[in-house]
Amino acid sequence: MTEGTISSWKLKEGDTFAAGDVLMEIETDKAQMDVEAPDDGIIAKIMVKAGTKAVQVGSRIAVLAEPGDDLASLEIPPEEKKDTKSDSGASATKQQVEEKSSKKDTRSPREGGRPSVVKSSAKSTPDTARTRKAYTPSPSVAHLIREHGIAEGDVSAISATGPKGRLLKGDVLAYLGRINKTYPKELEGRIHKLGKLDLSNIKIAPPKKDAGKATKQAAEKKPIVYEEKELKLEVSFGEVLKVQNKLQAALGVHLPLSSFINKATTKANHSLPPVASASDIFDELLNLPSTTFSSRPAKFQPKITASSPPPQQSPAADADILDILTGAAPATTPAIKRTPGIAATDPNVISLTVKGAKEEERGRLFLEKVKGYLEKDPGGLVL
Amino acid sequence: MLKSFVPRHSARSLLRPLNAKAGCGGYGSPSTFLLVQRRGLASEAEEHDVVVIGGGPGGYVAAIKAAQEGLKTACVEKRGALGGTCLNVGCIPSKSLLNNSHIYHQILHDVKNLGDVKLNLTQMMKAKEQSVSGLTKGIEFLFKKNGVDYVKGTGTITGEHEIKVNPLEGGESKTLRAKNIIIATGSEATPFPGLEIDEKRIITSTGAIALTEVPKKMVVIGGGIIGLEMGSVWSRLGSEVTVVEYLGAIGGPGMDAEMAKTMQRILQKQGMKFKLNTKVMGGDVGSDNIKINVESAKDGKSEAIDADVVLVAIGRRPYTSGLGLENVGIEVDERGRIVIDQEYRTKIPHIRVIGDVTFGAMLAHKAEEEGIAAVEYIKKGYGHVNYGAIPSVMYTHPEAAWVGQTEQEVKATGKEYKIGSFPFSANSRAKTNLDTEGMVKFITDKETDRILGIHIIGPNAGEMIAEGVLAMEYGASSEDIGRTSHAHPTLSEAFKEAAMAAFSKPIHA
Repeated sequence: MTEGTISSWKLKEGDTFAAGDVLMEIETDKAQMDVEAPDDGIIAKIMVKAGTKAVQVGSRIAVLAEPGDDLASLEIPPEEKKDTKSDSGASATKQQVEEKSSKKDTRSPREGGRPSVVKSSAKSTPDTARTRKAYTPSPSVAHLIREHGIAEGDVSAISATGPKGRLLKGDVLAYLGRINKTYPKELEGRIHKLGKLDLSNIKIAPPKKDAGKATKQAAEKKPIVYEEKELKLEVSFGEVLKVQNKLQAALGVHLPLSSFINKATTKANHSLPPVASASDIFDELLNLPSTTFSSRPAKFQPKITASSPPPQQSPAADADILDILTGAAPATTPAIKRTPGIAATDPNVISLTVKGAKEEERGRLFLEKVKGYLEKDPGGLVL
Repeated sequence: MLKSFVPRHSARSLLRPLNAKAGCGGYGSPSTFLLVQRRGLASEAEEHDVVVIGGGPGGYVAAIKAAQEGLKTACVEKRGALGGTCLNVGCIPSKSLLNNSHIYHQILHDVKNLGDVKLNLTQMMKAKEQSVSGLTKGIEFLFKKNGVDYVKGTGTITGEHEIKVNPLEGGESKTLRAKNIIIATGSEATPFPGLEIDEKRIITSTGAIALTEVPKKMVVIGGGIIGLEMGSVWSRLGSEVTVVEYLGAIGGPGMDAEMAKTMQRILQKQGMKFKLNTKVMGGDVGSDNIKINVESAKDGKSEAIDADVVLVAIGRRPYTSGLGLENVGIEVDERGRIVIDQEYRTKIPHIRVIGDVTFGAMLAHKAEEEGIAAVEYIKKGYGHVNYGAIPSVMYTHPEAAWVGQTEQEVKATGKEYKIGSFPFSANSRAKTNLDTEGMVKFITDKETDRILGIHIIGPNAGEMIAEGVLAMEYGASSEDIGRTSHAHPTLSEAFKEAAMAAFSKPIHA
């Protein structure tokens, strides 16, 4: 429901009422109902006359005062448009209580129909600050607000920099222009920093060198620090070129050299016998979800270069064995790096960087296989 | 269950990166291999939600809080009594001695011309032991009441979820399984190189609360809080105390320079001697006398100070020996502090660390706050400690207490500030108590009047600082305090007047 009609006001301006008295009758698209006063008070001003249709929920329809208030001396605060939805209790108070009929239907009677007080503005502002910030203003804040007669609406507009959004003295001073507007925020930033545990510049102690556990640990770690080694094998692309030409002639398709190499790499990798490394055993035993491959070691990715120039180090070659095991390094992606000079100068060299004796053995086998596929049966790779 | 029996030594290095990714629940399928391994190990493990290692102020508070939050909790403590250094050999026994020595000292001086006062040190120590045992038993009761399993023994982390406990009474070790581990093993006195601690003649704070007779001459190495408190005790009981401090001020680096000077003057009046900017070069421990060789850091002049007892109070260092950090690869920094993040997590996220054994001030109440926050992180995913509003108290007489920044720290920020101070000599209650030394000092931001630090020297300063901590927690200005009613006649009026002095003018000065 977003709007309603005020059928009639049961009271007129200046009338007093007690809790439970019917203030007005409203009509919505669904029903007609009486609106009762939840508290004692006086009708200070009726803003929307009876019979007005399509009154929007949240708009001001009347201003109520507390019992005993002198209506003549009351100052009716300007209506604020914003935030009727958020912070309903507060906005009801802030807007000095407009009783919006339909609003009552959608909200609890207490908040919708609460007759707020229109006091002299100096008296009512602290209340506003409280409800708006949901905190009692601190003594200094309350004092400044009163001293400078800051209107209640304006108080809620002051940006609060205190802990958990509290309005501080400095915020009010900044609002009043007595200090630099941005200063309270800056200060809060500094104080906030002091509230944190200082964990900057931590210098990690070097691992202890003393005997016992430390050396034992070092011994454990040793086997995983493998020496890197580069394996090389010459390969001729003569057969590949022949097949390439044949395909070009027969099908009009040009298959790049890299396709052959990719295929050969994949095939060779698959044909390698599975290796049961220590980590694989534990993976299996512990039923660990393996990160990238279940029980297979990293796949090889060869580099192809023209025979003479010194082979370049592939970045993947620098990767730690742990990275490879966990799949962090891109070693498993079978993508061939194109190196200038492939095929043009025959023979070429396929090379591979390996770590450790076991991997070296597998690496050699792998290179043999790649060479075999490329030199003996390149046709089989693409058909 | 089974994951605790993986043969660590061969498997750890390979498994760690995988473990880290798999988290805590990634284990599972039993295998014959593992079952074989299992037989060799100690008694059956039981699973706890939280196991706290260390039953000091940080650890026991964390354990009780965890139990209150509905977590199945155990606390491992090897001392044989709960409460840690603080309760057993630190804050609590020293306060008993400080209180009684103060009363003795006061009566001695008040009745100087009326009669004799004699010290019964044995009785004084007995009173101390009574307070301590009453309080440690109190914690044991709280453990029972809240359902915390109290495990007496030395805890060693043997796996990411596993703590081996060697019972105090001896016998077979026991293994605790834990979803979360909170390390709260605290700190120990830093030894002085070249002086071997025997706790009889070369003592730390532990020995200083258990001397069997009043030493004629005492040298205190280190003019920080511990040195000054224990120096005070023995000075009041009749010892000639000389405090040697390497820095140019007493009270440690956290104390406001002006307050440190004031405090030094007051303690000097009480009979303590101070050698600042002085370096201890070493000591000669003879059969009935100790010579401490010192050298002035300013002019290099050296001298020897005679002592019957030497108190080493140069600071404390994190205590992690036998904890087994290396078994799970948890790192410490250069000063031995366990490395954590803002949520107290080590690199193994379910192992958290609080208190003296990690970063921040070595204070019991700081450890308590962290203990609660760590449990809240485990239970609710959010905890909070405001390190900018943690008070420090020195229990000399008069006491010194402070919170927030010192004047020298504020000065270093380059921002303008205001000082408001008020002496207890102008406070009615202090006057009637004949206890008028000291003052309250506010440091506020000049622009916003927000309180940056509060420093008190005076009777009951340690109690009074609580108001300042609360004020800072709420971002208060000095005017907020100045406009808050304080009862008359109380010492707290001095607090209010100092606040008024910061933003306007005090009434009574």
